Amino acid sequence: MDIITARDLSVGYGTEEVLRRVSFTVPEGLITAVVGISGSGKSTLLKTLAGLLPPLGGGFEFAGRPIDYGSEASLGYLYERIGVLYQDGALLNALSLYENVALPVRMHYPELPEGVVRDMVHAGLAQVEMADSAEKLPAELSGGMRKRGALARALVLSPEVVFCDEPSSGLDPITSHLLDDLLLRLKEGFKMTLVVVTHELRSIERVADRVLLLGDGGLRFAGDYADLAASDDDFIRTFFLRKDQHDDA
Amino acid sequence: MSGANPVPSPPEVVVLPKRLKAPDIVAVLAELRKRAGNGPVTLDFREVEEFDSAALAFLGHLQECQPGVSAANIPEALALAEAGFARRPDGCWPEKPAAAPSGSRFSRFLQSLADRFLARVRALGLFMSMLGDEVFHIAQFLKTRKGVYPGETWNQMFFMGYKSYPIVCVLLFLVGVTISITSVEQLRLFGADIYVADLIGYAMLLELVPLMTGVILAGKVGAAVTAELASMTVLEEVDALRTMGIVPARFLMVPRLIAITLVVPLLVVMADVAGIFGGIVVARISFGMRPATFLDQMLNTVDWSDFVWGLVKTVVFGWAVVVGAGFKGLTVGRSAEEVGRATTESVVLSITLVIVLDCLFAFVIY
Repeated sequence: MDIITARDLSVGYGTEEVLRRVSFTVPEGLITAVVGISGSGKSTLLKTLAGLLPPLGGGFEFAGRPIDYGSEASLGYLYERIGVLYQDGALLNALSLYENVALPVRMHYPELPEGVVRDMVHAGLAQVEMADSAEKLPAELSGGMRKRGALARALVLSPEVVFCDEPSSGLDPITSHLLDDLLLRLKEGFKMTLVVVTHELRSIERVADRVLLLGDGGLRFAGDYADLAASDDDFIRTFFLRKDQHDDA
Repeated sequence: MSGANPVPSPPEVVVLPKRLKAPDIVAVLAELRKRAGNGPVTLDFREVEEFDSAALAFLGHLQECQPGVSAANIPEALALAEAGFARRPDGCWPEKPAAAPSGSRFSRFLQSLADRFLARVRALGLFMSMLGDEVFHIAQFLKTRKGVYPGETWNQMFFMGYKSYPIVCVLLFLVGVTISITSVEQLRLFGADIYVADLIGYAMLLELVPLMTGVILAGKVGAAVTAELASMTVLEEVDALRTMGIVPARFLMVPRLIAITLVVPLLVVMADVAGIFGGIVVARISFGMRPATFLDQMLNTVDWSDFVWGLVKTVVFGWAVVVGAGFKGLTVGRSAEEVGRATTESVVLSITLVIVLDCLFAFVIY
């Protein structure tokens, strides 16, 4: 079953379209990688799907319900069902890691006893192997730790879909590998749907079940990773060949 | 005279140096300018071994746009590099002149004025809408007690109040001293020194304390609020709040607005005391007036309504500062440099709002 269905979706800033009339689906319980060169509109598409940037045309459905950017209730419905891992984590710098992870719980369920909140936060942090750093401020954490902490915050209310904006960017290969492992565990252990924006070929190979390849202001490929790897399309071959060379270098 | 065609003179040949980089291109261009009008010129590239992107761009420019100048003996390496050189679509330089703007100069002036006016009106509309939203968010918070991080209001009260008291008190004391010294000199001319107490009381309670406190809050609190919120916006923390289903305008602004509302009365009381104390000190030193006499004389003129008006004015100024600062912080762009610009604009906006509101209050009170 598809959890996100986009139809003729155009996204961009102001009146400038970055992606024009793209249609695709995101299947439930799988990892969908959004791939493309820098400036192809990956992050812009993610922002639109996450309810941050109104589409310039078309629209999308989340779990069968059309998302209306003009309606607070519709956006509220979306926000309740998603978690977002931002490129730099976007943890609130004034709060400790524990407070950051507790934030969505406290805001949405202020009546929950503090003991319950504490257990939820601990479980979330343990899931990303960060329980020992709960009292640290974001400024005291490394880039990889901040991302894992932010992932714990995105997961704490068990969203249906987690959007990850370039989770590997700025990380060393080992930390990047560990983060990929974490995404796979979330998919396999919790049947979670993940939409991962990335341009790391190794990461795509390891984690992606489905791929949306963006280019030239549109969607160049949407399908299984295996089909993408076998594709004869020049654009796809060039993109991945360059990526291979780049990665090997 | 016969109509015989003139025989074209052979082109002059300029041999280019072995090293052809940007400074050398400048020299070649100067040479070409010198020879302009003296007939065709051929640039001989045979000796060129080292070149950079300036040389490649120059070669393209030469072939396409420089009349009367031709190239010869281009080495293979240079030709290959030039073939792969990504040139601007138009190729030519100097730049084509921009298309002539339509309409007369006066109509363009009017158009630019109208655009700026509309931009200001749009910004004012956004500001007023944010102000309305904040009133709604505060009412909703007071009703539901949801949407604000626990303890944040106390943190803000500590920052806006406790950390602002010293500077507000010191500055208002100095203002009280300055106003007293200036006034005593004038009042003495008429033998009316004693009325300095009336003047200080009235000026401090109704005008100087609210105005100065508003300006100090604009500089201290407004700048800090904008810098913090703008940084959060740039670092995607505000987006993160939104996707967590938290309304940033409530989560970030309500604690600050409640804090300023609770802190300002205390700030006003202390500032009133400091300012009046400044007047008492000057009156005692300059003409030996006893503090009790000063206070008696002052209380004959001012009453509670003056104090309350001063308080109301300062609370309104505090709100203007915080909403103005929040408006600038939450509507910032996405680059780090915009944080600095938003902070500066926030201080200017806050001080402007304080002075405009003060002027409006003058019409209401008097």
